[in-house]
Amino acid sequence: MARSPRTGRSPSARFGIRALVVGLILVVAVGAAIAVGVDVALTGQSFVSSFFPPVAVTDQGERIRDLYGIVFFIAVAIFFLVEGLIIWTVVRYKRRPGDDELPVQTHGNMIAETVWTVVPTIIVAFLFIISWQTLNVVDTVSATPETRIRAVAGQFQWSFDYLADDGKTVLYQQFLPTGEDGGMTVPTGRTIKLDLTSLDVIHAFYVPQFLFKRDVVPGRTNSFEFNVKDSDAGQTFRGQCAELCGAGHRIMLFEVHALTPADYDAWLQARIAEKAAAPTPAPSGAPAPSGEPAASGQPAASGQPATGAGPTLIVSAINVAFEQTALTGPANTPFKIEFDNKDASVPHNVAIHEGSPTGPELFKGEVFPGVAKKTYDVPALPAGAYAFVCTVHPNMTGTLTVN
Amino acid sequence: MATTALHPAAPAYRSSLYDWVTTTDHKKIGILYVINSFVFFFIGGLLAMGVRLELAQPGLQFVADQTYNEIFTMHATFMIFLFVIPMLAGFGNYIVPLQIGAPDMAFPRINALSFWMLPLAGILLLLSFVTGGSAAAGWTSYSPLAQDRPLGAVGPGQDLWVVALVLIGTSSILGAVNFLVTMFKMRAPGMTLFRMPIMTWTVLVTSVLVLMATPVITSALIMLFIDRNYGGSFFDPANGGDAILYQNIFWFYSHPAVYVMVLPAMGMISEILPVFSRKPLFGYRAFVFATAAIGALGFSVWAHHMFTTGAVYLPFFSFVTFLIAIPTGVKMFNWIFTLWGGKLTFSTPLLFALGFLSMFLIGGINGAVSASVPVDFAIHDTYWVVAHLHYVLFGGSVFGIMGGLYYWFPKMTGRMMSESLGKVQFVLMFVGFNLTFFPMHQLGLAGMPRRIADYSSASGWNDLNLLATIGGFTIAASMLPLLWNVFVSLRSGEPAGDDPWEGNTLEWATSSPPPPYNFDHLPPIRSERPVFDQRHGDVPHTKTPPGPDRTQQIPAGR
Amino acid sequence: MTTDTTALTTEHSPVAGLAHDARGGISNPVLGMLLFITSEVMFFAGLFAAYFNVRANAAQWPPINPESGEAFHIAIFPLVGPATVLLILSSFTCQFAVWAIRRNDRTAFLRNIAVTFGIGVVFLIMQGIDYAELGREGLTLSSGTYGTTYFTLTGFHGAHVFAGVIMLGVVLYRGMAGQFSARHHDAVEAASLYWHFVDVVWILLFSLLYLLPGNAPRV
Repeated sequence: MARSPRTGRSPSARFGIRALVVGLILVVAVGAAIAVGVDVALTGQSFVSSFFPPVAVTDQGERIRDLYGIVFFIAVAIFFLVEGLIIWTVVRYKRRPGDDELPVQTHGNMIAETVWTVVPTIIVAFLFIISWQTLNVVDTVSATPETRIRAVAGQFQWSFDYLADDGKTVLYQQFLPTGEDGGMTVPTGRTIKLDLTSLDVIHAFYVPQFLFKRDVVPGRTNSFEFNVKDSDAGQTFRGQCAELCGAGHRIMLFEVHALTPADYDAWLQARIAEKAAAPTPAPSGAPAPSGEPAASGQPAASGQPATGAGPTLIVSAINVAFEQTALTGPANTPFKIEFDNKDASVPHNVAIHEGSPTGPELFKGEVFPGVAKKTYDVPALPAGAYAFVCTVHPNMTGTLTVN
Repeated sequence: MATTALHPAAPAYRSSLYDWVTTTDHKKIGILYVINSFVFFFIGGLLAMGVRLELAQPGLQFVADQTYNEIFTMHATFMIFLFVIPMLAGFGNYIVPLQIGAPDMAFPRINALSFWMLPLAGILLLLSFVTGGSAAAGWTSYSPLAQDRPLGAVGPGQDLWVVALVLIGTSSILGAVNFLVTMFKMRAPGMTLFRMPIMTWTVLVTSVLVLMATPVITSALIMLFIDRNYGGSFFDPANGGDAILYQNIFWFYSHPAVYVMVLPAMGMISEILPVFSRKPLFGYRAFVFATAAIGALGFSVWAHHMFTTGAVYLPFFSFVTFLIAIPTGVKMFNWIFTLWGGKLTFSTPLLFALGFLSMFLIGGINGAVSASVPVDFAIHDTYWVVAHLHYVLFGGSVFGIMGGLYYWFPKMTGRMMSESLGKVQFVLMFVGFNLTFFPMHQLGLAGMPRRIADYSSASGWNDLNLLATIGGFTIAASMLPLLWNVFVSLRSGEPAGDDPWEGNTLEWATSSPPPPYNFDHLPPIRSERPVFDQRHGDVPHTKTPPGPDRTQQIPAGR
Repeated sequence: MTTDTTALTTEHSPVAGLAHDARGGISNPVLGMLLFITSEVMFFAGLFAAYFNVRANAAQWPPINPESGEAFHIAIFPLVGPATVLLILSSFTCQFAVWAIRRNDRTAFLRNIAVTFGIGVVFLIMQGIDYAELGREGLTLSSGTYGTTYFTLTGFHGAHVFAGVIMLGVVLYRGMAGQFSARHHDAVEAASLYWHFVDVVWILLFSLLYLLPGNAPRV
């Protein structure tokens, strides 16, 4: 039986292998086609647009998306060119069976080497220059931004401080990172300078629709500026921590709400007025009432109420976890929750949801940073199973049985 | 014909377990490296399956958040430090002395020491799972998360991780010293530096990188250890330290490390492509200079991992990152033009080499996209980066390693592997790999960050994640024909003979497996293809014929 | 009666090429040691990088000791200055030993290696005493950035001195057993290279930690 010099197999074995290879190639081709088809169907958007970042809602983000368009186009062109060359070469230069003659033993070619050194250099230089130009536009920080906000990242939440023009005085602090009454509210059109500070470890401020992220590093304050487009007023953008920061990394979500400048000014003034009416939570130790003029704020050590209708439940939190897992409360009677937030600078609250932590919210206590105590007045609840949750950290949960 | 006469070939015999444990023979040590690396490849792969299982659907189905953090941290740690780097060192160990016509490595006992530090380090890392949780701050282990503080890296897991990595680093450094002395001082007569095979050249440049970069991460790890255990203040801002300092020192090593992980695999396919095209490697000298350029430039780009920290000089690092695409492109074209005009035989090694070319092309391109700083602001720390790193490290290094395995298995064992099983593995691995990692480009662009155990179904990432998990299972399935192939071939594979592939380089000039001290006699070395020259005599070639022998002659029988 | 020991030496064995390249140049062990020293230089480079970074970021250097209210201070006398002089001296004696064995003067070689070894031991003892003294004054690894960098840098240098002392001890032992000659003394060359490296690192450290002026407090 004739043996080919390389594989040393008989003709019948070679036929079998050839069939196998053809079959495998078909499988690969069909599999690839299915995968692409599935990919197109599943992404729910056009195949091409799934290779682009989201449409930008900031001026800077739009510049970045335009840059990406150029870079992506060049990348795809190079891919098809080179991959095409590989596939063509592989198809064209297959060895014919029985052909034992050596091909021409080309060792190299200086012209070719020069061409494929110089041309990529030009392409790469072009990419660098347009990237640098875009960077200079996107990464500038002006001397007098129109709006100043500070995002404070900690394990595991975002809070937002609205600053006065001096960049230091805090006009209003927002402790809820998401929701209609939470998140970072920003005016469209204006230049907003965002300062980033961390309470503990490295986090990252990332809003996919800004096409932008910046690390939040303890020990330094990073800043960047952005202008939300006017056409995006009324929208909400989602954001998320993008630097691993521990067990709660994935729940560090936040929202950005865009308002027209007029709406934003009104909104901020309303928040400042609200804050002036209600006193801020006192620092550690002194319990503050939750807004009721007839304060029952003296907690007794045993948990028995000094005054007031129902019992006082004791809840405390440290290291982003409640220290209690199960509470019991009285049915059909208003009662109090004395909440001791032992996490320095970390905002928590106690909220009550029906049934499970994701059930309807029935009560939401004021969010405040530790180390501090607050007493909440909880309205009467019918008997049943409830859950208590921290609105800021949805993974902090426990059960509340009312009977 | 000048020869160097040594002892006659030793009779074939099976080595006992004692031989394997006490060996200082580079071939046995190379095989030990390969086996150890495959064990940790499978462990790392199981951890990857854990990641993909959890991410297949929204909702935490299998593990808690902290456990998930442990899983991806240890997946990367095992894959980088106990699979790719040692696997390539192991192939280097086996192949380099053979390719330069040397009887062994320069320091055989240190060679053995280098190897045995690895299973020890692996055991320490495995132990960390049961001592209260392994390291969970990512393989990058950024400070202050990696510090010993509440909600940080509490417990001995992170410390075990540090100790294990210092051990592995020391093993690497000693190995690099060994490789460099061997390559500079023990080449056979006629083997000038510019006649060394490209595989040997890539190991040379890799060894320089290991020598110069690894000690820097050792220093970072030791400083982290001091912070964690002795009240140190290097990297914790709470104590006056600097978190960014850790990143700079860490990435000063970890960027050259990625070239450590890919250059020898490039060397492997630079051996495979010429043999299966029946032509010399196109542009040998260009390859050498491009490899050296990548090595040198690789030391300058580290802060492109830190573009979003706000603490680096962006234009410089972007510029040099773009620059490093150029020698990489030169290599890509040289490989393609090795195939061009050749006569290709599609054996399994060539299939994996072709897979390498296509996948590394994608990995290189999506890396160049990330070099653009504003674009990186959008895609850093998202699944785009996960796609990039896997395209270069899996599509690149692993495909190269698989090619090398199929190519040199006959030399190491004396038996051929099954081509059919090899092709099945290739198809499954290629399809599975692309199914897993290609969708991650889209996920990253859509905004899915890395290192999250779960995501909301409102984000729209469900389907691509499910697709990626299906791909992951396909990769896992591809391991079955591989394992079966290895076992069956070891027992009853077709005998290989000295030179089953019509190879070019010196390892094919001796028996399979080679005797102790490798060569009974060496063919004359007049070019980078001494075995080819011996087989084909005077073959007309274009442009650059082999040069004159500029080395001294060693008199025989000394 | 002379015994023919040529068969024992590597140059006559089948693996001659493993130790001595017939093309000349430095021997494998010496090249190996030079490369290893390169890696050690990079290790110290990482530590120095951290030190420079810490110093550059500090508001004041040396910083104020929170316990005493005064700036930290490390003294050159009575221990560290003389230890530095001794270490530099030991590099000289080490080199004398190498030159001695190169010309087959075993007596001078042994004497100089023994002195070098002894000085190395004395250096370590002096450093230990200095550490204890600083600890009494309140400067430890956990004394903020100043203590951390000081003890890490000098501590790892001390660890390298310790390794060097062991190397010199082995060389001394083997020398006393007659294992070195003018033709075969790679271990001596390698150990001396390492010892010089240790000395150079100390000179750098001493200059940076003790001689380089501090920063005045930034307002």
